Amino acid sequence: MADRRTDVLQGTFDLLVLKVLSVEPIHGWGITQRIEALSERALSVNQGSLYPSLERLQRSGWVVSEWRLTENNRRAKYYRLTAAGRSQLQVERSEWERAAQAIRLILRWEGA
Amino acid sequence: MSGWDGLRHRLRTLFGGRRADRELREELAYHLEQSARQLEARGLDQAEARRRASLRLGSVEEVRESALDARGWRGLDDLRRDVGYAGRQLRRAPGFSAATIATLGLAIGAATAIWTVVTGVLVRPAPFAEVERLAVVWQTDRRTGTTREPMSWPDYLDFRSRGQLLGQVGALSSAELSLADGQGDPLRLTAILASANFFDLIGVRPLVGRAFTAAEAAVRPFRVVLIGEGLWRRRFGADPAVIGRTIRLDDGEVTVIGVLPNSADFGLDQIHARAAYHAPYAGVGRVDIWAPIEGTFTGSVRDTHSTIVVARLAPGVTAAQASGQATAIAADLERAFPGSNTARGSNLEPYPEVVFGPTKPVLRLLVVAGVLLLVAGVVNAANLLLARGAVRAREIAVRTALGAGAGRLGRQFAVESLLLALLGGALGLALAWAGLGMLLRLAPADFPRMEEVGVDWVGVAASLGLALLMGLLFGMVPAWQARRIDPMVAMRAEDRAVASGLGRFRRGLVVAELAISVTLVIVAGLLVKSLTEIVRTGPGYRTHDLLKAEYQLPASRYPRDFATFPRWPAIQQFSARLLEEAARIPGVSGAALANAHPLDAGFTNSFRIVGREAEAASWPEISVRVVSPGYFTTVGLGVIDGRVFTESETVDAPLVAVINETAARRFFSDRSPLGQEINWWGITRRIVGVVTDERIHGVAETVPPAVYASALQLPMARVLVLRVSGDLGAVAAEIPGLFRRLDPALAIYGVEPLTATVMATVASHRFALVVIGAFAVVAMVLALLGIHGVLSFLTATRTREIGVRIALGASRGSVRRLVLRDGFRMVLAGLLWGAVGAAVGSRLVRSMLFQVAPVELSVYGAVVVMVGVAALAAMWVPARQATRIEPIEALRVDG
Repeated sequence: MADRRTDVLQGTFDLLVLKVLSVEPIHGWGITQRIEALSERALSVNQGSLYPSLERLQRSGWVVSEWRLTENNRRAKYYRLTAAGRSQLQVERSEWERAAQAIRLILRWEGA
Repeated sequence: MSGWDGLRHRLRTLFGGRRADRELREELAYHLEQSARQLEARGLDQAEARRRASLRLGSVEEVRESALDARGWRGLDDLRRDVGYAGRQLRRAPGFSAATIATLGLAIGAATAIWTVVTGVLVRPAPFAEVERLAVVWQTDRRTGTTREPMSWPDYLDFRSRGQLLGQVGALSSAELSLADGQGDPLRLTAILASANFFDLIGVRPLVGRAFTAAEAAVRPFRVVLIGEGLWRRRFGADPAVIGRTIRLDDGEVTVIGVLPNSADFGLDQIHARAAYHAPYAGVGRVDIWAPIEGTFTGSVRDTHSTIVVARLAPGVTAAQASGQATAIAADLERAFPGSNTARGSNLEPYPEVVFGPTKPVLRLLVVAGVLLLVAGVVNAANLLLARGAVRAREIAVRTALGAGAGRLGRQFAVESLLLALLGGALGLALAWAGLGMLLRLAPADFPRMEEVGVDWVGVAASLGLALLMGLLFGMVPAWQARRIDPMVAMRAEDRAVASGLGRFRRGLVVAELAISVTLVIVAGLLVKSLTEIVRTGPGYRTHDLLKAEYQLPASRYPRDFATFPRWPAIQQFSARLLEEAARIPGVSGAALANAHPLDAGFTNSFRIVGREAEAASWPEISVRVVSPGYFTTVGLGVIDGRVFTESETVDAPLVAVINETAARRFFSDRSPLGQEINWWGITRRIVGVVTDERIHGVAETVPPAVYASALQLPMARVLVLRVSGDLGAVAAEIPGLFRRLDPALAIYGVEPLTATVMATVASHRFALVVIGAFAVVAMVLALLGIHGVLSFLTATRTREIGVRIALGASRGSVRRLVLRDGFRMVLAGLLWGAVGAAVGSRLVRSMLFQVAPVELSVYGAVVVMVGVAALAAMWVPARQATRIEPIEALRVDG
């Protein structure tokens, strides 16, 4: 089957991860699944960049992790948003919306 | 908030690196598995699903690496690279690295060993409660000028009852006992008789059992004892059931009621060593038996001074107030008892002062020497690193030009010198360990608490810290140099531009090193000369073929009945048989008995010359020596006047005495002593001869007036002295058998060549000498390396200049002179400052000098010549190198 999905945009991946984690703690595999599902499979996650991203978020103190058992009793590392992560999500989200708005404005331009 | 979570995460990954790595692998494995399962659910077979899953995730290693990268492992990797690079750099200059590491190691090792000894002896808290409130109350004698005599028992009782300001007052005295319990040879024990309140007074509790009560203490002879921790472990296997056991001491039975910890004898050795004369005391080592003093001493007279008085000052009372009261009591006693207490005063000395007083000058000397060596080591290391930095100026320049940041370079140099410092520190610790063992073996036996000195972890930490600090400091040097280097200049090989400023600084360092080593060498020289003088002076007789053995006759089987004194047949028979049997041992050419061996101060007594009673009041006491008639020839004393004792002069013959030269000079300057009558203990003896002096107080001490009585007329012998013509060791081995044949239940001890006894009396000198000597040698080697290094460096940087000079016609000789002149200027300055340092430093050793002036010109002269010659040797190599410079090559070099 032909894969027509788009890679997540550079720089927005962290935002998506923060957003996904803002609802509930979840493990790495779960994050990729959630992003793909929520985007109705329009976005595909470059799995190779997921873990470095999680590492970055942890170092910034926006995300913390702990080992827990999954619903099928497997050990997995769950990531959770910290309070700082939550406010960072607000910041990145408004930044994204401003940028998206700007891009929309430019794309609407028909020449004058 | 976020800062905190992030920091925690970083710390966890930094220090739990291995675990973080494992967790990441597990996490990725989970991811892979889930991904594969999803693909399988879509109908792929298992293998294909796995393949696609790993394709999607990418290589596990890659993900891992990029995750690790995000984690900041870069820094650690860099560090590892820096350490590797530093290691290669150090290996590339093995001479430099070895010299620096050895320098730092020696300096740190010496400093740590000395630090350990000083903290172990002086700084560690005393085992007694509030030891600074304790004092020894000595008696003084204005006639002899002695300031530290034990008191008489009645005097002690008076001080105790009247000295309210003295607070708690206790007494102790030493004794010798043998333990014969049927297991092996009888054991001679060191015993202390102590008052019932003594343990309470010093604040030491028994480990097991209890101390004696006042009622038990008053019993005569004593029936209960406490034993020392050492004896308890040695002989009784640390068994608590020893309490209540009966042991045989000197043929009498006593019950053990407690065990005292080793700490209870803190300072007792030093008190006995400082007392103006000692009662028989095993001297050194742990106390084995603690017995009550009250029963034994009750009834003794005011003339017998063998009670050491210790007081714990009453709360709030100053030492001056207590001392004032002690003086007042002594004055009252002097008025009340004109015979025994005339000219007797009191001297209250703080307990710590008694214990540490004689040790402090030696320790101070060690500390000063250790600090000097440390400084010399640091200076030398700095010098080496500066030289190295200069040599690497070009490397730094090239790397700077290629874009290495100053921070990066600085870090690399810091890592390099930290590595050097750590290696030096490790070597230093090893050396400290070895050096400490040596110090402890060499230390004089009367050094307090040496047996408790152990590795001090504070000292170890301090020296490692010191090493690191030095490393950081030196790490700055090349980096700091690098900042001042203009890459363009350095790359054009204008080394002189780099070198000129440094040269002056390094010359200063070399002069400092030389000065330190010259100071140490001169002080060591003074000590060597003192020790030579002591050995040359000798004790007044030949010692190399003398052997001594001490023994003790228990009163139970060798009765001393004062009613029949001096007819004590058991003792007389034993003495006669002992001499007879000893003379039969092959190799023995002379045998004699005495009450104290020739280097034992023994005891003194007041005396008078019949007909001159009035003068006696201003005379000092006289040392009483009891010897067998053969003593003088055996020991080798010369007869100056009259004769010595004969074998026929027994208790039935008229009583006779011999005096020493000093006594003859002191008391008979205007008349002949022969035929005069001397009286002590109420017994009169006629003086029949004068003999040469024996230095009974030690070789370096003055000889006291002494009187000899014949052991045949005064049965008090307890030392066998043998003159041996042959192997001392073989004869010494015969001695236990000799005594066993006569009386198998006797304890014998102190079997040693008299030369060993002499060496023990100069142990402090020897100790100081060996330490200072070793330090002086090390400092000297460092200084010579320094001169050599600096001259080589300067010559190398002047290669082109010298080449030009030679090309222009300068002779090789003049080139050599050029280099040597440079060196000699440093040597002269070093010698000058070193001599000044020694003149100041020798004050510290003044108390240890014997017949040597602090500014002894012969020593200074010898050191100047020696250092001059050594320095010339060190300078010769670079000087010769300079003359070998070929002008053509010199001009091409670095062109």
